[in-house]
Amino acid sequence: MSYQLPAIDRLGFCNVFLSAIGGDGANMSAKLLFKIAVTELDLDGAYDAKYGSEKKGTATDVSLRLCYKGTAVRTSGPTTTPHILAIFRPGLIETLQLNRGLQANATVIVNTTQTPDEIRDRLKMHSGRIVCVDAETIAEETGSRLNMPMMALICRALRFPQEQVEAVIAKTWPYAKDANLGAFKAAYDGVNEKEFAPRADYPLLPPALVARGQIGYLNMLNGGAIDAMTHSTVNRNNQVAGYGFVPTFDPSACTGCAVCMTVCSDPGGIVWKDGKVIGLDYAFCKGCMRCVEVCPQTKKGKALNRPEIAQVA
Amino acid sequence: MVPQKSLIANGNDAVAQAIVDIGYDGEGYYPITPSSDAGERVSEALAAGKTDINFVIGTSELAVAGIITGMAVAGGRAVDVTSANGLLLKMEELPCISGLGLPLVMNIATRDVSGPLNIKNGHSDLAAVLGVGWLIFLAPTVQATYDLNLIALKAAEAVSLPAFVAYDGFHTSHGVRRINVFANQEDARAFVGKKPEMLNLLDVHHPHTFGPYMNDDLINTKVQLDAKMRKAYELLPGIFKEFEELTGRHYSFVESYGSENPDAVLVALNSAGEAAKVAVDDMIADGKKVRVVIPTVLRPYPNDEFVDAVKGAKTIVVAERVSQYGAGNYLANELGASLQRIGSKSTILSRVYGIGGLNYLPEDGVHMLTTALAYPNVSEEEKKIHAYHGAWPGDPSYKPLPTIQPLTAEETTLNAGEERVNLRKLAEMPTRIEKHSACPGCGIFTNLNLFLRGIDGHVVLLFNTGCGMVVTTGYPLTSFKVPYFHNLFHNGSSTATGVVEMYHRFKKQGKIKDDITFIVVSGDGGDDIGMDQVIGSALRNDPFIMLEYDNKGYMNTGGQLCYTGFKGQRNSNAPIGPALRGKKTHHKDVIEILRGTECSYLFQAAESNARDMIAKARKAQATVRAGGFAFGKVFSVCPLNWGADEAKGNEIVEKVVDACMHPLYEIEHGVTRLSYDPEERGKKIPVSDAFRVMGRAFGHLLKPDNADLLQEVQDEVDRRWERLKAMSAAEIL
Repeated sequence: MSYQLPAIDRLGFCNVFLSAIGGDGANMSAKLLFKIAVTELDLDGAYDAKYGSEKKGTATDVSLRLCYKGTAVRTSGPTTTPHILAIFRPGLIETLQLNRGLQANATVIVNTTQTPDEIRDRLKMHSGRIVCVDAETIAEETGSRLNMPMMALICRALRFPQEQVEAVIAKTWPYAKDANLGAFKAAYDGVNEKEFAPRADYPLLPPALVARGQIGYLNMLNGGAIDAMTHSTVNRNNQVAGYGFVPTFDPSACTGCAVCMTVCSDPGGIVWKDGKVIGLDYAFCKGCMRCVEVCPQTKKGKALNRPEIAQVA
Repeated sequence: MVPQKSLIANGNDAVAQAIVDIGYDGEGYYPITPSSDAGERVSEALAAGKTDINFVIGTSELAVAGIITGMAVAGGRAVDVTSANGLLLKMEELPCISGLGLPLVMNIATRDVSGPLNIKNGHSDLAAVLGVGWLIFLAPTVQATYDLNLIALKAAEAVSLPAFVAYDGFHTSHGVRRINVFANQEDARAFVGKKPEMLNLLDVHHPHTFGPYMNDDLINTKVQLDAKMRKAYELLPGIFKEFEELTGRHYSFVESYGSENPDAVLVALNSAGEAAKVAVDDMIADGKKVRVVIPTVLRPYPNDEFVDAVKGAKTIVVAERVSQYGAGNYLANELGASLQRIGSKSTILSRVYGIGGLNYLPEDGVHMLTTALAYPNVSEEEKKIHAYHGAWPGDPSYKPLPTIQPLTAEETTLNAGEERVNLRKLAEMPTRIEKHSACPGCGIFTNLNLFLRGIDGHVVLLFNTGCGMVVTTGYPLTSFKVPYFHNLFHNGSSTATGVVEMYHRFKKQGKIKDDITFIVVSGDGGDDIGMDQVIGSALRNDPFIMLEYDNKGYMNTGGQLCYTGFKGQRNSNAPIGPALRGKKTHHKDVIEILRGTECSYLFQAAESNARDMIAKARKAQATVRAGGFAFGKVFSVCPLNWGADEAKGNEIVEKVVDACMHPLYEIEHGVTRLSYDPEERGKKIPVSDAFRVMGRAFGHLLKPDNADLLQEVQDEVDRRWERLKAMSAAEIL
């Protein structure tokens, strides 16, 4: 057998976990990785994504478990013990405790402008390789998507033969061939990676448990009702899920026309006082820019504008 | 053996592949998570010209059940795919299909049916249909989902009974695997065989009466039905054998995996059974004698095979993804009765697990088998004959403090009663819905929050199932600052009728002092499946407001066709291809449907005309305060499923309004009045100008190849617009 999986667990699987937000294309890239594994390398395995009614912009994950043909594929659901972890949004590292269940000598691929040392400390990774890549910039510069540079580096970590991978990419998206392959090349060229030896204060952690809240069968209200006064979403930060691009606000240009209020999809976030907007509560804002589109032009410009750069990491 | 080829598929893909390979005559379709994409894959094959199946999208699951019954009684091979609430809505038809002896196949991507709503896996749908007289096949893997679709049809036609194929929602329906399928369709079709000759409604030369009215004789049909089940039991081993000879893939009534003479046996259905095999391997390696038993056929109930698989074990754990609450469990009871008949002394433990999509991991299997081996020397909790695995008690000392105060009637009564809608003043009105998790740029909450600014005082909201409810009430948090109720997909209007009846009763009795306005919120899909109930509320002129956010599709389930969609619109179940060009019919006009009810107030509004929407909200509130029913439709963008720019929502709505694709008007007890006339203002634009900004669900209509379709939409929009103008001009119309 010419191709060898880079690592396998006791059941014979190499586990890849992609952590992203809806709309990043993690699902699409994992689907293609699975296709390459099966059709090009004659591997077997499983591809399970988080599904449900989660909407665009909310955290999602995809698991790819690869094995040699003949290995029984029995379980479904996510892998809890990844050998390869691809983090599309580093903001998810802490919120989802992505270090849990990570194997020793794992490979972690992160879309970030931070260094491997910085990511290691955020992740508290026991041991292995951290591969940092500014996938967002690469996607923008090559006219591709975020998932392409990420996928390039997952393929590299899996030691998939580059030529075969690129042939499949070219065949799958013939019209975006140059952009996608450009993103692949830029990803290979643009990595900042480092190998880390085990660190005693960063132990290997058991997989994350199923989230079990403080409300259970002893104290759940009749019929699963929610007490709106104590369990409102008001304190939630919707931006965790967002893209970090939110409108800028210039109070001096605000005429108080209130048109932004009529188009905003979560207008509680537009803070009013005495007939004027006094600011935006960014914890509401998903950055759709609907308000920017309708904000009128004044002598002082528009009160609401698209930001030059992301406001939140 | 006949040639097989490898396919990358999830359970839904596998169903679709089987449907195409078998060459069914017809499929009835209605979207429901998690089975929706099985039908989508078939529609894609249809668009690509790879199948010629008659694929009919119904207005509800019950409607679809009727459609497939009609297909079958006309001699067609018919198939359906459903889940959970969809299956239960079809319920009335199910014993009818089996009683009438119509062989067809219904796939169930199993899912919990519950209140509060859950869309993940559970077997409460499957459990509800155990006794409807259908053959039931259980597919634990993606491979089995494909295979059993072929086996089920062959068996069904051999005995003239319908068959279910149940595979686990999400675990199997969405888990992608490498499977083998028939390389040549002819081989698949040869296995299934020709449809046996049956009595046929289309035979005018020898007429039969199907579905007569029957009194005392009914019991004889039941004896026949039972005999067919027994016949299926006799035939199935041969069918399994034939299938194995062709494919090398082995099936039997019950699969046993593990030790020869086990001390403990775990009975687990579908995907959990597969995961339990890992547990069994580990425990055998550890010197334990354990086994997992996974049934492939549940009806006819394979009594002897089941008994053989479990007998001799000291303890048997029957794990079920469903409960009978206050009684023993379905399969545990059945198996207990089987074992009692042979005088077995085995202990049967019933365990409820995996409800609402909770994963079943090998660790869970180890836990259950370890408990069985140690029984009765186990914890008090585990000593219970019927117990829940995976539930948690919570922390009764958890007493969170309020984070919001209830809205007062005063703070939500700004600018009410003043002639001019003062947006600046209304901007300070607190929102009743806040911090939802809808997609960026979603139109739903723009519309709702705008509309609600026109409603003063206390509000109670009732939502039909849809994106609007899913993104606001993810347990344990709610985005609603006012009382809220979600019941089902289709019956928000009926539910509201019940609520307002009690409100007025208690008000009359002096038990309630507050003035409350009740508003039902539904997507356009909810008013497809629930149209009859909306009409009922309108006919009774029940005093509440119903607001439909129309985003031209079943967006919560993945962008399937809704009758409100424009002709030619691309939907996930009405794709564009050489043999199909999206939605086949023109957009439904719900306001005109309701016109005939002569209810008090009907309107269409749009976010592009904010003051008009608020004015209409006020009129709607005045209507219900005067005792009448008000129904309004607002046009709502879906950037996600349309592929539209999320920043451009308001511009899109403006263009749709200016193109007269969503005219702004109102009907006050039969009197029609246009609220905004783009033509008069010189702003009327062709529909193509609107489609251009509406994303890829519509963009193809601008291509030269589709010029005829575009013209058809333009003509239809113009025709309706001209009629509306005429009605607006003449009060008597």
